[in-house]
Amino acid sequence: MDIFAQAYQWVNLKYLLEGLWVTVEVSVISILFSFIIGAIFGLLRYMKIKYLSMIVGFIVDIIRNLPLLLIIFFTYFGLPNVIGVRFNTLWATIIAMTVFESAMLAEIIRSGIMAVDSGQMEAARSNGLTYWQTMYHIILPQAVKKMIPPIVSQFISLVKDTSLATIIVLPELMFHAQVIYGQNTNFMIPMFLALAVLYFIVCYLLSVLAKFLDRRLSKA
Amino acid sequence: MSMIEFNNVEKYYGKFHALKNINLKIDQGEVVTIIGPSGSGKSTLLRCINGLETVTSGQLLINGYDLADKKTDMNKTRKNVGMVFQHFNLYANKTVMQNITLGPQVVLKQSKAQSEEEAHKLLELVGLNEKANSFPDQLSGGQQQRIAIARSLAMKPKALLFDEPTSALDPEMIGDVLNVMKTVAEQGMTMVVVTHEMGFAQEVGDRIVFMADGSILEDHSDVAGFFKQPNDERARVFLSKVIKHM
Ligand SMILES: Nc1ncnc2c1ncn2[C@@H]1O[C@H](COP(=O)(O)OP(=O)(O)OP(=O)(O)O)[C@@H](O)[C@H]1O
Ligand SMILES: [Mg+2]
Repeated sequence: MDIFAQAYQWVNLKYLLEGLWVTVEVSVISILFSFIIGAIFGLLRYMKIKYLSMIVGFIVDIIRNLPLLLIIFFTYFGLPNVIGVRFNTLWATIIAMTVFESAMLAEIIRSGIMAVDSGQMEAARSNGLTYWQTMYHIILPQAVKKMIPPIVSQFISLVKDTSLATIIVLPELMFHAQVIYGQNTNFMIPMFLALAVLYFIVCYLLSVLAKFLDRRLSKA
Repeated sequence: MSMIEFNNVEKYYGKFHALKNINLKIDQGEVVTIIGPSGSGKSTLLRCINGLETVTSGQLLINGYDLADKKTDMNKTRKNVGMVFQHFNLYANKTVMQNITLGPQVVLKQSKAQSEEEAHKLLELVGLNEKANSFPDQLSGGQQQRIAIARSLAMKPKALLFDEPTSALDPEMIGDVLNVMKTVAEQGMTMVVVTHEMGFAQEVGDRIVFMADGSILEDHSDVAGFFKQPNDERARVFLSKVIKHM
């Protein structure tokens, strides 16, 4: 037990929380960006606009099938060579996560819209509504309800996947834990335990938030 | 001027020839039933009338406006022609009341109060006033279809299209829906009804059209006469099959 007390002394906890803060920062910014871009790409692909939807679909499919780690390497190590711009580890991670998660969300959002019965669109159009009025009043509200669970799972993966950036030495939660037990291997188990608890709390809060949103939407 | 007028209309789905040289005039207040075997193009014909499908060539005039003409505002035309579907297609995320009032509010810019007042009259007409606050999945098929009719009527359309409105219903629900349709017909609505309900066709229909293979083979004002003695061989075979099942 002494080991745990030592491992969880305030300097270490503070250091872990600093890591957690970076994890949350990267996650929140990536979630915001990828949600907006994913929604636009998902809609564009759904709408079957000549060429545009095909190109969007092609890009989305390629990105979805790449390992996230490869994209992180590319934005951090590759981009400086390609376009001569170097991002710090924080932004390299955010950009990589946004690219990857946008593609994942685009597909979730497109399938969510497609899962709405096509009869709904036909009924609304023959009821006199325009395409966008139908989208707004009928299709999207139904699609969003279907999308919430997969989107939440995706965001939970996103939070956990930020730990990949430990490899490019982003000072996030996982990396800080490694630094601590790197100095004293006895701290390894306490640190693993702390990591498990902290990731759990963040991800659990996300799913609670989602349930709350879901209930709000059901009432609307 | 006819309410609905097909002049030499052809419709292709890719290479597939779905409507062949359709000529059909439907006047205001007429109730026309369309029968024919599966795949003969009945739904396609209806869907062209309210612009869910576009015709490949020929002229399709609704109230004098040519649907093939790019200048014709499709949304305006749809406003005037309502459609009732086989599977009801009520808006799943809206209550019965909202299903009926959405079109009037969004398209006709009616106030909430006015649209709801009129919706109550329509609910009265279809006999479902107590269901105003239910969601579609809380209703039986027959009830959903009656709401779907009320929803179409709320737009005050000049014509109503019905695509096999009773085919998805349990037998004991069919009568209620047909009764509502009969009431609507008696109020002078122009109706085009694709149906297998031969009783309805005879009792309510002013005219009967038989389709096969994308063509109109028979078009009669004497509905009872047609049932007794169809001219076309295929109509005869079709009727003998349908009547056996009745
Ligand atoms: N969107 C489409 N794309 C390609 N072919 C289609 C499409 N819609 C219908 N068809 C074809 O056109 C033909 C006519 O179809 P339609 O639905 O109009 O027939 P129907 O008379 O309504 O048949 P049913 O009694 O089964 O409803 C069918 O052979 C069908 O396969
Ligand atoms: Mg059909």
